[in-house]
Amino acid sequence: MAVKHHDDNWGWMLAADFFFAGMGAAAVAAAGVLTFAAPGLSSPLVGAVGAVGVGIGALLLILELGKPLRAWRVFTNPKAILTFGAWNMTLTAGLGFVLASFAFPIFPWAGVAILEKLVAGLCVLCGLIVAAYPGVLLARHKARPFWHGPGLIPLFLLSSLATGLALHLLCNAALPAPNQALVQPLAVGTALLLLLQAVLWVAYVYVKRSTGTEHEVAAAERWAKGDLAPGFGLFLAGGMVLPGLLVGLSAPALQVGGALLALGGGALMRLWVIKGGENRTFLPGEQLFRSRLPIGDEAFIRAGK
Amino acid sequence: MPQYVMVIDRGKCVGCQSCTVACRVHNDLPVSVIYNPVVTNGVTGLFPHVHMTHVPLLCMHCRNTPCVDACPTKASQQREDGIVWVDQDMCVGCKACIMSCPYGARSSHDGVAWKCTFCKERVDAGEKPYCVNTCHQKARSFGDLDDPASEVAQLVGAKGGQWLLGELNTQPGVYYIN
Repeated sequence: MAVKHHDDNWGWMLAADFFFAGMGAAAVAAAGVLTFAAPGLSSPLVGAVGAVGVGIGALLLILELGKPLRAWRVFTNPKAILTFGAWNMTLTAGLGFVLASFAFPIFPWAGVAILEKLVAGLCVLCGLIVAAYPGVLLARHKARPFWHGPGLIPLFLLSSLATGLALHLLCNAALPAPNQALVQPLAVGTALLLLLQAVLWVAYVYVKRSTGTEHEVAAAERWAKGDLAPGFGLFLAGGMVLPGLLVGLSAPALQVGGALLALGGGALMRLWVIKGGENRTFLPGEQLFRSRLPIGDEAFIRAGK
Repeated sequence: MPQYVMVIDRGKCVGCQSCTVACRVHNDLPVSVIYNPVVTNGVTGLFPHVHMTHVPLLCMHCRNTPCVDACPTKASQQREDGIVWVDQDMCVGCKACIMSCPYGARSSHDGVAWKCTFCKERVDAGEKPYCVNTCHQKARSFGDLDDPASEVAQLVGAKGGQWLLGELNTQPGVYYIN
């Protein structure tokens, strides 16, 4: 019989879901915006790659479930924010593929501009919702002091947009857009989003640590001086500031490297946020009690096997 | 419709964990699931003025339920009498309820969520939860808060009754008195 008294928390798969879904959805939303601006501004790959990203996110979400075969039930409670998110992820993935299909004449609807713009509009709407959704989901958790409050919403939205635009740059490197007019402005925009994110992250941790509740201060302390501090520094410097400079200031070859770093930084940021949620609103004495429970590898348990 | 609540007298609890054991045995809980731990705070102070308190924890059966609100499948439910429970056949094991509970009152085991139900089958049969029956210090009381003659209504009326983490506005159905 398994003996396991670890605290139950969300794991790395949810962080990966947030990353792939956020990046993919923002890429789909940006492809939608570019469709309105002029034809051929984004790589034909973007819509499909973004949709695949959202799909991978959804798959990881299902695998994270304790009962994956019952995953369809997640769509059944319209009052729950998880249900809202699940529906929007599904719509965004589907719309991304449909938007990408307009670039290929083999599809009969490929030349219907009004239909393309309608799909693009829906891509923007659903994509932005999915991009911001993890922040909203986490911000509602009163039980998790590091997440609670509106601060995570812009951070997740910015990160999704930055990684989504970075994906545009990577897709453009693999299969260039017919019209390259907006590639450089897109790179500058990505850089600004990355740098703004870094500033806001420092401010977020500072505010939590200096003016938060007792529980918030304890949670933020892990980011400032505790076990999460090295990773925090890594995603700030290596996942936001450095890629921001590379993407914004350098030649196309280095831009690709910057875009890849931005994706790595976005993934690490989400993993760290999930780990930051391990701090609950613990009651006095509760952590001591839980720390004394066996987790399965103690000598007295092994001796009985 | 009754409104079931529990009142716990912290001054009477000696931290013996009898309630914890009774709950686990009678509800046949898996080894990794504890519905009602008793945590100890202290010793605090300087001899001879030292102090130690024991706080029995359990699902607070909140009236403003973050867990029920978070559940994407309606597996987490609240009855009209205030009892919060999980239909494990509907649970997908997403842990949304576990993450949203400020009291750590839920556990994941075998892919689904587990939690205290105030022993709802016993309550429906007119009996009290196992933890209440077991407590030899009579630190726990259970009943209908809307019935002025009930023990819980009189205790809360006379001694106030505090909520744990009341600032979160979860409006627990478990009151603590000293």
